[in-house]
Amino acid sequence: MRVKRLLVLSLILAAACKPPTPAEQLDSILSWLGTAEMVGNVWLRHTTPDKYSRQTLELSSSTVGQISKDLLKSPPAGIDTAALDSALTKSRAMITKMATLITAKNSPEFARQLDSLRADQKALKRLSDTIESKQ
Amino acid sequence: MDLIRDVLDKKLVDREDCPMGRVDGLVMQLGEHSQPRITHIEIGGQTLWMRLHPVFARLAVKLGRAWGPKRDGSVRIPWSRVITTGKQVKLDVEAKETGAIDWEIWIARHIIERIPGGGEEEEE
Amino acid sequence: MKKFMQIALGIVTSVGGFLEIGSVTTAAQAGATFGYKLLWAVLLGTICLIFLVEMSGRFSAVSKHTIVDATRERFGFPFFAIVLVGMVLVAFMVLVAELGGIGLSLQILTGLGFPWWAVPVSFVVWLLMWKGTFDLIENGVSLLGLVTICFVVAAVKLHPDWHAAAGGLLPSLEGDQKAKYGFIAVSILGASISPYLMYFYSSGAIEDKWDVSYIPINRVIAVFGMSFGGFLSMAVLITAALALKPYGIDIEKFEQAALLMTTALPKWGFFLFAVSMLFACLGAALEISLAISYFFAQGFGWNWSENLTPSKDSRFCLTYTIIILIAAVPLVFGIDPIKVTMISMALTAATLPLAIVPFLFLMNDPIYLGEHRNGWISNSVVAIIILISFVLAVISIPLQIIGG
Repeated sequence: MRVKRLLVLSLILAAACKPPTPAEQLDSILSWLGTAEMVGNVWLRHTTPDKYSRQTLELSSSTVGQISKDLLKSPPAGIDTAALDSALTKSRAMITKMATLITAKNSPEFARQLDSLRADQKALKRLSDTIESKQ
Repeated sequence: MDLIRDVLDKKLVDREDCPMGRVDGLVMQLGEHSQPRITHIEIGGQTLWMRLHPVFARLAVKLGRAWGPKRDGSVRIPWSRVITTGKQVKLDVEAKETGAIDWEIWIARHIIERIPGGGEEEEE
Repeated sequence: MKKFMQIALGIVTSVGGFLEIGSVTTAAQAGATFGYKLLWAVLLGTICLIFLVEMSGRFSAVSKHTIVDATRERFGFPFFAIVLVGMVLVAFMVLVAELGGIGLSLQILTGLGFPWWAVPVSFVVWLLMWKGTFDLIENGVSLLGLVTICFVVAAVKLHPDWHAAAGGLLPSLEGDQKAKYGFIAVSILGASISPYLMYFYSSGAIEDKWDVSYIPINRVIAVFGMSFGGFLSMAVLITAALALKPYGIDIEKFEQAALLMTTALPKWGFFLFAVSMLFACLGAALEISLAISYFFAQGFGWNWSENLTPSKDSRFCLTYTIIILIAAVPLVFGIDPIKVTMISMALTAATLPLAIVPFLFLMNDPIYLGEHRNGWISNSVVAIIILISFVLAVISIPLQIIGG
């Protein structure tokens, strides 16, 4: 009886320990892109230290990279995987570039990158909405 | 007197109101033709841990032999030394002489007082 | 006049000592993800805390026992040992989170990673306990925590829709993220209703030599101090809802939380956040270290007091020394304090029955409280808290896995 209960509990926990869905992964990526955007905004206003801003952008970039890798292993059905990969790689590259521009203290170029990032974010958000509506 | 409610696990203080630990156990004498009576209070050592499980008592004994004041067994204080019971149990003894605070003194001397600021200073 | 000053100080230190990494992280997550929809959890947690804090103070003022003393004496050593293990394990995790919070605050200010700060931070916490008195810790550090009032300023400056915010004070079942919603609600409650606060508060009442005449003061401090503290948590949630939610930020790391006040307070927001978290976590780390040490010392009948020199209560001092030393270890190895925070908050909720059930018995025991026993209101509230905490205990761990 005790073994049976443990087995049932293990099955429940195993089922509960499901990996995140593609929609959840994309939400997480969008969260980190949003973080990068907000860090970009506040850095341009000179309200946060350079070190913190650069490190947070680097963290955003690496986290987006990690989640993208997992997402592309089992991509959502009915989505152009190549286009998704390209969009994610581009976003990541932009955030990494923004981090280096902080070190160079190049605000004008930084602002241009930030604008591009916002555009990419919108495209990824539309993609995320498409995936969610299909689920 | 309800021994469990009024004595067991209560705080112990000596005649100077110095804390001495808690009543961790009671020793009773059972006579063939007489009422059972409490003979001693026990403090610390394996008495306390035996209330959980003998494994813990054995570990406590091992620890006591390897480290600290190397006291064998629990401290026993005759029941005749009890002055009052109530919120705490007051004993007609001096804490230092009973062995009840040997660990406190040992840790103070061997560890605490060796750290700067740990020694004898004016109390706040 | 003296009593008025004591009330004022009590309220001020309650406010200053209210926020810590758990309450800020959970409230910020709630606001960033669900807007105002979890304000009810903060409200419920605060109400629960008001009752528990008032009871803790009343218990010690009347009985001249701490809660730990009475738990051992009333329920015996074996039951006490179970409570000890449960409470100390969870409190220890929270301590790791708080020390980590101090380290993370220094990380965002200096750029140097929090693992490097683990040892110096732990040393400072230990030194304050070694050399400090109860007054210094309770009052001094808590007064520094008043800087957290900046969260209220930030929330007000963002011009929230107060009507919409008021709507969040009523529970609602979130549509598509039920598991996450439930988990964050559980964590908010766990962050608010922390048993270590009860043990710390009751020990403080003994350290400060409270008696029956302090009951009214205790009531005022509990109600106003904890209420204002609850407003601080709500302010964090509202600020996150207005500043972070528009960016779609779901807080997973401290670096994201650090952006909380940069919209409302452009010039100082970032630094105020870092400094607020630094002092808030410092105060909490000291309280938890003391609470754990009090638990051991009071339970085993050792000498204990923050006002004694260390050699006079050597086992008490050795306990907090060892605890702080061990708590630094996971941080040195880079364990994420935010993850530890979220897990420990849920575990706190899961172990609440272990702390509150015996406490309810004590609050109704005439031997300890005489005519100052709980009335039906306090008993009802505590009974409801036990019910909520039991439900939380059953659902929080699976939610941890699904939602986390």
